[in-house]
Amino acid sequence: MLKMNNLCKSFRTELVETHALRNFTFSVDEGDFVSVTGPSGSGKTTFLNIAGLLENHTSGSYLLDGIDVKTLSDKQRSQLRNEKIGFIFQSFNLIPDLNLFDNVDVPLRYRGLSRAERHQRIEESLARVGLANRMKHLPSQLSGGQQQRVAIARALAGKPRFLLADEPTGNLDSQMAKSVMGLLQEINQQGTTIVMVTHDPELAMQTSRNVFVRDGQISEAETIMPLAAASNQ
Amino acid sequence: MSNLEFGPIMRALLRNKVGAILIALQIAVTMTIIVNAVFIIVERKAMMERESGLDEANTFYLTTTGFGKDFESKRVTIEDLALIRNTPGVIDAIQVNAIPMSGSGWSMGLATQPGEEIESVGTANYMVDDHALNTYDAELLAGENFSPEDIRFRERNQSDWPDLAIITQALAKSLFPELGIDEVVGKTIYIGDNEAMIIKGIIDKLQAPWVGWNNLDHVTLTPEMMAFPSMRYLIRTEPGMRDKLMTSLEETLANQYPNRIIRNVETITATRDKSYRQHSAMINILTATMILLTLITALGIIGLASFNVNRRRKQIGTRRALGASKQAIIRYFMVENLIISSFGLILGVGLTIGLNFMLIEWFAVKALDWYYIPTGVVLLFVVGQLAAFGPAFRAAQISPALATRTI
Ligand SMILES: Nc1ncnc2c1ncn2[C@@H]1O[C@H](COP(=O)(O)OP(=O)(O)OP(=O)(O)O)[C@@H](O)[C@H]1O
Ligand SMILES: [Mg+2]
Repeated sequence: MLKMNNLCKSFRTELVETHALRNFTFSVDEGDFVSVTGPSGSGKTTFLNIAGLLENHTSGSYLLDGIDVKTLSDKQRSQLRNEKIGFIFQSFNLIPDLNLFDNVDVPLRYRGLSRAERHQRIEESLARVGLANRMKHLPSQLSGGQQQRVAIARALAGKPRFLLADEPTGNLDSQMAKSVMGLLQEINQQGTTIVMVTHDPELAMQTSRNVFVRDGQISEAETIMPLAAASNQ
Repeated sequence: MSNLEFGPIMRALLRNKVGAILIALQIAVTMTIIVNAVFIIVERKAMMERESGLDEANTFYLTTTGFGKDFESKRVTIEDLALIRNTPGVIDAIQVNAIPMSGSGWSMGLATQPGEEIESVGTANYMVDDHALNTYDAELLAGENFSPEDIRFRERNQSDWPDLAIITQALAKSLFPELGIDEVVGKTIYIGDNEAMIIKGIIDKLQAPWVGWNNLDHVTLTPEMMAFPSMRYLIRTEPGMRDKLMTSLEETLANQYPNRIIRNVETITATRDKSYRQHSAMINILTATMILLTLITALGIIGLASFNVNRRRKQIGTRRALGASKQAIIRYFMVENLIISSFGLILGVGLTIGLNFMLIEWFAVKALDWYYIPTGVVLLFVVGQLAAFGPAFRAAQISPALATRTI
């Protein structure tokens, strides 16, 4: 569903030009759970941003579901993000002034769903992450792990086909990380394609595929062999 | 409508009340002051635009004062008027006791029946001859002008009144509310100590000397000239001749008799300006206050919106990542402003009416016409939306990548 070919991304500031991604050729199939690992500054977030249409690439091509995203307007990209893609961020990115219900509601409103439909989806997805009884709470009243679960609920409520997560467990202790990871695996098993950036090789092991990024390029040699793939061999 | 986000915006706003409340209060106060100020300005403007009835641009007057025992005021008046009226460029001229809008003159009470208990109607009194209508540029609506035989001389200590009078239409209406103006002609009215006068004619318009007076349009002309040493001439000229004649006639008249002086040569335009000076000053102050207040409020709104945009940069990036279009981000801040403005303006409507009541009590201002309030509300909504648009537009330029880039 995602196909990048010779994709480059450079950031130009007054002084330097940073090549965050260089000749990045990579594809993700429907149903994959891909982990992206690599040292800090190697280009993982940049890759994820481009994959999630948060940023434009500089050259090369990127096809999402067969559509060349370079041809899309800002409005069309917003709509695609809203309908096809779910995001999970390292620092949760919940809106502090809104309670959990309203937080999960945010992307649903942009989609223009009916009130009844939105209510149903919000309740369902908060129930799925085990927080149905805390709908009226503010994010600040929750633990980090709970906040990340809300963020997952917010992504799930949109029923995305494609879930992008940038170090979703980066701010969590290992216990919480485990439960978030479990949730992601469950979601993947139900058919959602996931790409997850992580520093944690243990988590990378639990995905179906790993790419290792170094200096903006895929480093085949350093790829972690996931457990599932290993047991298949 | 669900994507208008009224509910969530409102709830988010309630968690950050202080700034919003201050701006709402500012909007309320601005609305209160602006609406009342505009109302007062419009009232004053209308007041200032009331017509005196004169050919204002082409009329001036002067005072002549004779001195010495031998000064023959009757002869001088007759000769002066003949000279002035024969001067090229002069349309007509009269001797008169008082000038419209000048602030000083004579007022009398008129009644439709004799007797001290009868309630009288106030009127200004101008003592004039048969040239008055032409000099005043007044139109005779009914009856007749004075004829030269009607005119008498009033001596310095004489206190009785002539038998005839010409009155303004407004005065006729006040005296005889049920009668048409044609029917008023020939009626007897009573002045001073129940002296009878017959109404000879009715003119369209002429103002009393006092611009703040309720009966400004009540004027009675009596057919008489004054045998006083000090008197005024009111002179109407052909268009464009006024200023030239002011200088030349002053000189001619002064040279005519050595034992008199000419002073206070003034145009009606200047007299009007002087009389309404306070009002125009008030209008200027109110206008400046309004502009300043609107600017301060607009700046307040821009400030609060900018603060909110900066405070929410990450949130805006996240919203963009979750699928908000630029338009949706703009709309968020516009709706937020609309909500704040609405609270301010609801309060503002109450305060506006309250201030108007206070002004009615203390300063005899009239009750606000109802349409000032919706106009003020719409105007301030527009000001608010315009002010909020800049910050909202900047918010929409925040990149969705900010969602992953900042902590
Ligand atoms: N907006 C930007 N302007 C300039 N340079 C940038 C920008 N965003 C990222 N970069 C640079 O691009 C390179 C890749 O950054 P990226 O955030 O993708 O790394 P990362 O692999 O996600 O690192 P980390 O593990 O620390 O999150 C870095 O050198 C970074 O400094
Ligand atoms: Mg990163």
